[in-house]
Amino acid sequence: MLVKISCKNIRKIFIQKGKMQVHVLEGISLDVYENEFVVILGPGQSGKTTLLRIIAGLETPTQGQVLLDGKEVKGPGADRGLVFQSYMLFPWRTVMGNVEVGPKLRGVPKRERRKIAAYYINLVGLAGYEKYYPHQLSGGMKQRVGIARAYANNPEVMLLDEPFGQLDAQTRYYMEKETARIWETEKRTVVFVTNNIEEAIFLGDRIITLEGKLPGRMKSIYKVNLPRPREHTDTAFLELRHKITEETKLLL
Amino acid sequence: MSMEAMAPAVRKAVRERTSISLWRLVGNEYFLYIVSFIGFLLIWDWVAKAQILGRSLAPPSDVLGELRRLMAVELAGKNLLGHIWDSTRRIFIGFAIASAIAVPLGLLMALNRYVNAIVKPVFDIFKPMPPIAWISIAILWFGIEESSKIFIIVIGAFVPCLLNSYNGVRLIEPELYDVIRMLGGNRRNEIIQVCFPAAFPAIFSGLQISLSIAWTCVLAAELVSSRSGLGWIIIQGMRLTKPELVIGGMAIIALVAWLTTLLVSGLEKVICPWKRGIKAV
Repeated sequence: MLVKISCKNIRKIFIQKGKMQVHVLEGISLDVYENEFVVILGPGQSGKTTLLRIIAGLETPTQGQVLLDGKEVKGPGADRGLVFQSYMLFPWRTVMGNVEVGPKLRGVPKRERRKIAAYYINLVGLAGYEKYYPHQLSGGMKQRVGIARAYANNPEVMLLDEPFGQLDAQTRYYMEKETARIWETEKRTVVFVTNNIEEAIFLGDRIITLEGKLPGRMKSIYKVNLPRPREHTDTAFLELRHKITEETKLLL
Repeated sequence: MSMEAMAPAVRKAVRERTSISLWRLVGNEYFLYIVSFIGFLLIWDWVAKAQILGRSLAPPSDVLGELRRLMAVELAGKNLLGHIWDSTRRIFIGFAIASAIAVPLGLLMALNRYVNAIVKPVFDIFKPMPPIAWISIAILWFGIEESSKIFIIVIGAFVPCLLNSYNGVRLIEPELYDVIRMLGGNRRNEIIQVCFPAAFPAIFSGLQISLSIAWTCVLAAELVSSRSGLGWIIIQGMRLTKPELVIGGMAIIALVAWLTTLLVSGLEKVICPWKRGIKAV
């Protein structure tokens, strides 16, 4: 299998208010394979969002490096798509306007980028809502736009930062199923950050848990060998959930 | 309570809400607007006719009559519309100059810390100074003609325009820039795609504040020295001891200032269509 993303011994220390040091990540080494769905699982304050932002190129590691296709990541770029925890849609743009931003920045002609955007709006199940503004959409719909916007730029890697953290339980469950469906339609290398064990097992090929205190260190790696589409009530699913819960509980 | 037991109660409530009753009419918002307005006119009329404030309060009918007279009769060479236009023109010129300079300057200050470091200290000296304080020096510099009045308006309208466009950019959620960077955009894309549209609502609320300050400024300037305009009409009414002229002038100012405010919010609706669905209080 081809290694797509490679994190090499990453450490991150934030400097706050001039001299206060916050040690967030320590010794993170991790390979993500092409078209693999990797979930980074950890409680709040475990550095998982920071790790994702380092892979995205929005933060620079204090030590260590991230390689994408063997080349060092030096900053953000269109080869990675990021889906934000708090959606970060542009309120002044319609659904169509939000989704077509990526191709627009790359200079794709209007007709073509509209076609691309329409395809992904349809893929995330928002056909008919092209002319709506974000404030007219529910939380789940907003995040669908966020996912479509990242996909429309045709990135090689999708990075999702607790994308369903703000949704209610039912919508969250539904969005997880949708995410699996979309990923199977449009295979990408995915790094998905969450604090929800069930979400991790439902979606991931592999789950990487972080220790629940700063600095965040890698704790264990679980391979999820369940057939898709997965069922939350499946015995193997429940066994794995039990195992991860038991092993992470010690830290909470 | 079971569904069956609840149904009649709900039906009853629905019937009560839809039936036209006196209570419903009294509770109607628009009906209350009219009641409020007519009540205000009646109290005004009564206070004026009972001469509770002496002879210095004219009843609404006199004010209306005076305004109608001013439409036909010329005062200092202009009828009422001429005076309205004189004040409004001053407002628009001053307001246009102020916003054309202050809005881009505020944006630049927010985007570039060197510009900020150079402009901010000087701006902070002038910021707390009430624009009316400039009237005397403006007359000394520009005389009593149009330019001194426009100068006062520019001074007054400048501050909120600049502060709001500056804050509009400073308060943008930084992660919105990350969106553009992740999609492959550069600094220029960030400014055009995020900064400007995100700052528009703040800029427009600055323009609204500037506009009402501009009206205050033009009146003050016209009260001090002028040969035309709505402020001058009020002064004429005072000199001639004609309260109906003073109150008429005040009413017209309120009306015209309100119309110009509508103009700016109309412009905002065109430029910021995403805010159309959000009702302002």
